[in-house]
Amino acid sequence: MEFLLQAFWAPLTETYFQKALIGGCMVAVVAGVVGCLVVLRRMAFLGDALSHAMIAGVAGGYLVMKLLFGLEAHAPGMLLGSLLAAVLTVALIGLVARISRIKEDTAIGIMYTGVFALGVVVVSIFRGYIHIDLMHFILGDILGIADTDLWVSAVVAALVLGILILFFRHFQLATFDPVMAAAIGLPVLLLDYALTTCVSLVVVSAVSMVGVILVVGLLITPAATAYLLCDRLDKMMALAALFGVTSVVGGLYLCVWLDSAGGGAVMLFSTLQFLAVLTVAPRYGLLARWLRLRRLVPQQVVEDILTAILRHQGETLLPVIRQYVQQPLHLARALRQMEQEGLVSVAGDGYRLTESGEKEARQVLRAHRLWETYLQSIGTPREALHPTAHRMEHMRAAGTVDYLDEKLGHPARDPHGRKIPPPEENEK
Amino acid sequence: MTSEKAPVIEVRHLTVSYGTRPALLDVSLSIEANQLVGVIGPNGSGKSTLIKVLLGFVRPDVGEVFIAGQDVQKAKGRVAYVPQRGAVDWDFPIIVREVVMMGRYQRIPWHRSPRKEDRDAALEALAMVRMADFADRQIGQLSGGQQQRVFLARALAQEADILLLDEPFAGVDAATERAILEVLGRAKAAGKTLVVVHHDLTTAAEYFDKLILLKQRLYAYAAPQMVLQEDLLSQVYEGRLRVFAGLMAKEGS
Repeated sequence: MEFLLQAFWAPLTETYFQKALIGGCMVAVVAGVVGCLVVLRRMAFLGDALSHAMIAGVAGGYLVMKLLFGLEAHAPGMLLGSLLAAVLTVALIGLVARISRIKEDTAIGIMYTGVFALGVVVVSIFRGYIHIDLMHFILGDILGIADTDLWVSAVVAALVLGILILFFRHFQLATFDPVMAAAIGLPVLLLDYALTTCVSLVVVSAVSMVGVILVVGLLITPAATAYLLCDRLDKMMALAALFGVTSVVGGLYLCVWLDSAGGGAVMLFSTLQFLAVLTVAPRYGLLARWLRLRRLVPQQVVEDILTAILRHQGETLLPVIRQYVQQPLHLARALRQMEQEGLVSVAGDGYRLTESGEKEARQVLRAHRLWETYLQSIGTPREALHPTAHRMEHMRAAGTVDYLDEKLGHPARDPHGRKIPPPEENEK
Repeated sequence: MTSEKAPVIEVRHLTVSYGTRPALLDVSLSIEANQLVGVIGPNGSGKSTLIKVLLGFVRPDVGEVFIAGQDVQKAKGRVAYVPQRGAVDWDFPIIVREVVMMGRYQRIPWHRSPRKEDRDAALEALAMVRMADFADRQIGQLSGGQQQRVFLARALAQEADILLLDEPFAGVDAATERAILEVLGRAKAAGKTLVVVHHDLTTAAEYFDKLILLKQRLYAYAAPQMVLQEDLLSQVYEGRLRVFAGLMAKEGS
């Protein structure tokens, strides 16, 4: 108890931890919300591009402010520079993708590495003038957030969230069906630029915390996690915000306990959280999928059991049924399900057909014997009649059986001389 | 070449199922050489399954398929396929000549380059679809009808006797449709058998020698005027073709 209190409470009393928590959560909430649109528009790579392009903007902003106004490390100048660089990069990407045959993913790759490279070259050429720590830029430092960063994050979060909430329907439609959005007069291009600017703002405010490389993770991982859990955009955004917050909180504790890098710990936690949800998500999760597949009793097995009992007449023991079923793996589960559905009932040591089970079984048997008759009529060798018909008897949709019956002239007996059960009168 | 009478495609009691649904049920067909055959039927009627079976991609549950007397699985490459236009990346860096040369690839062993005879065959196929003047164009620079003809030329260069075309008239204008149809006619005249998936019932009678009317079962395989009967069509399209009934009446008068 003492230990737990120490582990959870002690960090909270530290100023650096409080700042990291507040700043991180603000950024994570807005990144999660805007990330939903990024994920749904398949622009994940663009987030990466924006964060990398920033370095050129930061360097440019630093340089301009210093040379023109003599201000050292002027934060608003660098911020403006990053935004400009981000928007410029997006415009260049759009231009290349539109006017040439280069597809968008390649255009993004070319442009952002180009702008990033420009930034690196500029920073290294002017290393005497400007003091930018490239490593800090690349990895971020969530535990060393400055107050200006906090203010920037707060303003960005308020602005972006405001825009997204006010124009939620516009963004929803422009993402889901841009053509229809344009047709009803929504300014689709403007919305695209607004979204890109929002993403740029979020990226710029997040880079100082988790760094260039990991910022895209903060944008898309919580959103993707939420995507696994719900089927509506507004809920997805709310959940993404929540997962962003848990990533930051969990990551910060992880970082304090393990004494590791802050940004890395946050993204690691976020990724683990994603993997956990991927495993246990109720509908789109791996576990659910596996269970669904397991629970699914093949219709074929059900029908095999029905005819097995019908052929055996009356009470049938499990080993007898097993002989007739092609996939004995599902046998026990199939029997349980059929009992629930009222197709079979337990009788003594074995199973017996209920009235509806017997009806169903007769129809399968009818299909089987008609298939045998049909197969014989097209010259199938006698020894292949039963196995083939056993496979085909399950195919009864779309009037298949009636067609065979009519084509064969309503035969009364199959090739083995057994009676073909009549069609069920009260069917449909 | 097979003689006029012997069927080049023979389908016997073909049944293909997807789970409990039949995709094709008890379909028997024999298509003679030198025919232009249209395949019609509503969506989900098994048209594309039939094409897949003829290409040997889908194995039948029951029944047999023979291509020129040979089991379809052993006849790979004897049937040429012309894809739908939407299935092609038109920005791919390739020129018309090279696309048509691909039709020869199945005959060229890996260790040798295409010979003059291959180049000649490719050019000949291009000439046949009247696209020889465009041999050095990149495929994206062609119009829709020209693109369709290039892929037809590739199929011709394969020297397969049977060509399967998946909706070649989808999304092309009337003039282009004429141009493609003319090429199909020339291919037929050169002794090919063409099986064409088609959607437009109003033109089906005019374009094809014979029609296959499918909806899981084979409802008809005969000359167009025999197939385009109101009672048959209303069975297959479930009475959703009132418009068409009027059209037939007009044509009949």
